[in-house]
Amino acid sequence: MQLEEILYKHFGHRSFRPGQKEVIERLVDGKDVIALLPTGMGKSLCYQLPGYLFNAPVLIVSPLLSLMQDQVTQMKLLGEKRVIALNSFLNQQQKQYALNYLHQYRFIFISPEMLLQQQVKERLKQLKLSLIVVDEAHCISQWGFDFRPDYLRIGELFDYENRSPILALSATATNKVLGDIKSYLKMNNPFQYIHSVDRPNLHLSKRLFQHHEDKVEWIINHVLETEGPGIIYTQSRTKAESISNLLLNVGISVASYHAGKETLDRQFIQQQFLEGTIKWIVATNAFGMGVHKDNVRQIIHHTIPSNIANYMQEIGRAGRDGNDALAILLYAEGDEHFAKMLATDDLPSEHHVHLYENYRLRNENPHNMFQNEEISETAFRVLDYWMNQETSAFVLQRLNKMRIDKMQDVNEMMKFVQTEDCMRKVLVQYFGQPLESRPNNCCEVCGIQYDQIINQRQIEEIPIENNSWKKRIESILIGN
Amino acid sequence: MIFQTLVLKLLQEFNGERTVSAVYHLLRGKRSGQTIQDVGIFRLHDFFGLLPKLNRKIFDDQINLLKDHQYINILPDNRYKLTVSGLSRLKNTVKLSFDGWHYRGNEHIFFARLSLIVQTLSHQRKGDMKFIPIQQNEVVQHWVKNFLKSNQFDNGQFQETLLEEIVSSLEQLTNDDREKTIVVKRLGGMKQPGFTWQQISLHENLTEMDVQLLYIACLHSWIDEITSIEGKYPLLSKIAHQVRIELPLTDSANQTAQLFKKGYSIDEISIIRKLKTSTIEDHIVELAMNDRNFPYQNFLNEKDVQNVLNAIENYQTKQLKILREVVPNLSYFQLRLVLARGD
Ligand SMILES: Nc1ncnc2c1ncn2[C@@H]1O[C@H](COP(=O)(O)OP(=O)(O)OP(=O)(O)O)[C@@H](O)[C@H]1O
Ligand SMILES: [Mg+2]
Ligand SMILES: [Zn+2]
Repeated sequence: MQLEEILYKHFGHRSFRPGQKEVIERLVDGKDVIALLPTGMGKSLCYQLPGYLFNAPVLIVSPLLSLMQDQVTQMKLLGEKRVIALNSFLNQQQKQYALNYLHQYRFIFISPEMLLQQQVKERLKQLKLSLIVVDEAHCISQWGFDFRPDYLRIGELFDYENRSPILALSATATNKVLGDIKSYLKMNNPFQYIHSVDRPNLHLSKRLFQHHEDKVEWIINHVLETEGPGIIYTQSRTKAESISNLLLNVGISVASYHAGKETLDRQFIQQQFLEGTIKWIVATNAFGMGVHKDNVRQIIHHTIPSNIANYMQEIGRAGRDGNDALAILLYAEGDEHFAKMLATDDLPSEHHVHLYENYRLRNENPHNMFQNEEISETAFRVLDYWMNQETSAFVLQRLNKMRIDKMQDVNEMMKFVQTEDCMRKVLVQYFGQPLESRPNNCCEVCGIQYDQIINQRQIEEIPIENNSWKKRIESILIGN
Repeated sequence: MIFQTLVLKLLQEFNGERTVSAVYHLLRGKRSGQTIQDVGIFRLHDFFGLLPKLNRKIFDDQINLLKDHQYINILPDNRYKLTVSGLSRLKNTVKLSFDGWHYRGNEHIFFARLSLIVQTLSHQRKGDMKFIPIQQNEVVQHWVKNFLKSNQFDNGQFQETLLEEIVSSLEQLTNDDREKTIVVKRLGGMKQPGFTWQQISLHENLTEMDVQLLYIACLHSWIDEITSIEGKYPLLSKIAHQVRIELPLTDSANQTAQLFKKGYSIDEISIIRKLKTSTIEDHIVELAMNDRNFPYQNFLNEKDVQNVLNAIENYQTKQLKILREVVPNLSYFQLRLVLARGD
């Protein structure tokens, strides 16, 4: 069957988007592939379609539990039943069952941590896979060193003769990150499909403020005057709560979204946002990958993200329908200090390194550091990984370097904030690419007029449900 | 305000004989000997495990608030005392129908099942079975799938039957409509998503915590109603299957109880189970609290019991130390048994 036929049969699309066919054809030829396609371009299809070409499971390594869950749900919506997520949500019994029947699935999603469990490793060794996918592959270098070291080990696992091809997907990889991906995954002279990271329909604005507090006031006025749907990104749960409450009080239909929300609430928020009853979401970076609303018109950053890649991912939620969208970055003097603090907060310190050594000297399991609440879980994971790789002197150097790198990332972000050159150009150049052309209303520096990109707010009553509980349950269950 | 009243009321119930943390452990349903004994001693079954995920900071914030309002004074060692205005704050507050002891957070399992069933039925009725399940937990999804299949949910009448059960059982409850509304707002269906806590809190002009407490109270009475008479609500009682805990013992206490019922003595059980006698005694106290037919006469005679009850009355205390001084012929274990009876 022609690839186009399969595309239509299983996904209902008439034609491929740029890159998709090229990538799939190489995979069919058995080559390793790195595909860099901008946010929302359709990276998932590059591994979904091959699932229907080969007669063996596709393994997808995916970074976030929520993202994985979402990918599985999306596949099931497409009518695919042979799909499973192997992650820490499964209990031992479910896991065993899944492992026994692993060969019968078409798509197997898995977290790097799960991938490295002995039991799982052994099973995977016996299994013939048709394709190994690493989604959001920039995580290898963005998270591997200082957050989730297991990312660095994925490659070890597939380092054998005659392994199936590896596909690495990302929207936001610099040349350095591309290098990390290639070497840590031990890829074999991969074919690279690099699309421009630029999204011409996203228009880039920034606003500078004297005082931190002024930003919230500006947000309220802006949201009162312009039309969503939109997402407001901020740095903490409390901020997300307080900004959303302020907006609620002026009659905006808005919800806060962060890692502290219970899952049912998250579902309701996503549903209402998709449906349009919620117009705005005030979120921490927990809201992002895996949100499938294609008509988001505005992204507002209440605080600067800790690096450019995150910024790209976050503004990438907007304009997925191809229509114009506006991204506004707010900055007040001194914001970068806070961003730096946040970015380096969870790195192990020199003190931790010495503690670790002391535990070793006492012949006590260093893991107790974490039990004794002397270190956070993340920091311990990172410290433990490196202490088992190299001497403490090297670890100290390495940690120091990580800290400097993270600060440097914020500085890069600041360059973007402060540039007097085209913002789009700075952004694209950060990823080592030339800027090919500039759209109208390109950016704050080139000149931008909001009213040519977004609409005025249509004031509509928020429909409050005045139905009695009896009416409501009746209408849910049997309509009318 | 509801949460505030609740915490204040529990502080009052503990009568200043514990630290403020006792209230926290009680609400979280900590399965430790101390907390479980306290439940019996102070008759706090209704409140045990109401908020299994209660965050310490939120609790501490509330304690500070109570202090700032001068409803309580904080004494050394994390102890406290209710003030006069604290006591009057507790007058004429609404009573909520909690039954924590028998649910301990399991009410959320009931609701998770129900909400996925309702969502599925809503989509089925409208002929569109492609939807994202609002419950992501695989165990719940699996359970619901089996439930729907084994009850022929697509027979065309299923929605009506379930609706009828939901409406008539909720109507039986004396809880006010506000509570029922909150519960139903957490349900959703096709093109009718449920509401978030933040939204309901805005609708009802209550804090999110208070909304959740009303919700829990309503679920408790609802499941009580559903499970009270067998066969009255055939579908709902299946959905509530094994949600209510009938003999709520810890696993270890349960093993002890089995041996005890076979007639082994405390010492014998302690040898068999290789546990300290004090631990076995804890288990026996736990059993006494839960089992209405507990054979007290094995350990105490009527006169002893009466003496202890008098002491509690005369000294206005349930502190074991003081009771021990007043009734020195009884052991701590015997005293705890009397308190476990809760009369
Ligand atoms: N060939 C195609 N024709 C039409 N629509 C497509 C095609 N391929 C993908 N899409 C649609 O594009 C949307 C985005 O796809 P996808 O989630 O794979 O993007 P992504 O590149 O992974 O984005 P992100 O970087 O945010 O993860 C989906 O709704 C998908 O159905
Ligand atoms: Mg993707
Ligand atoms: Zn520009």
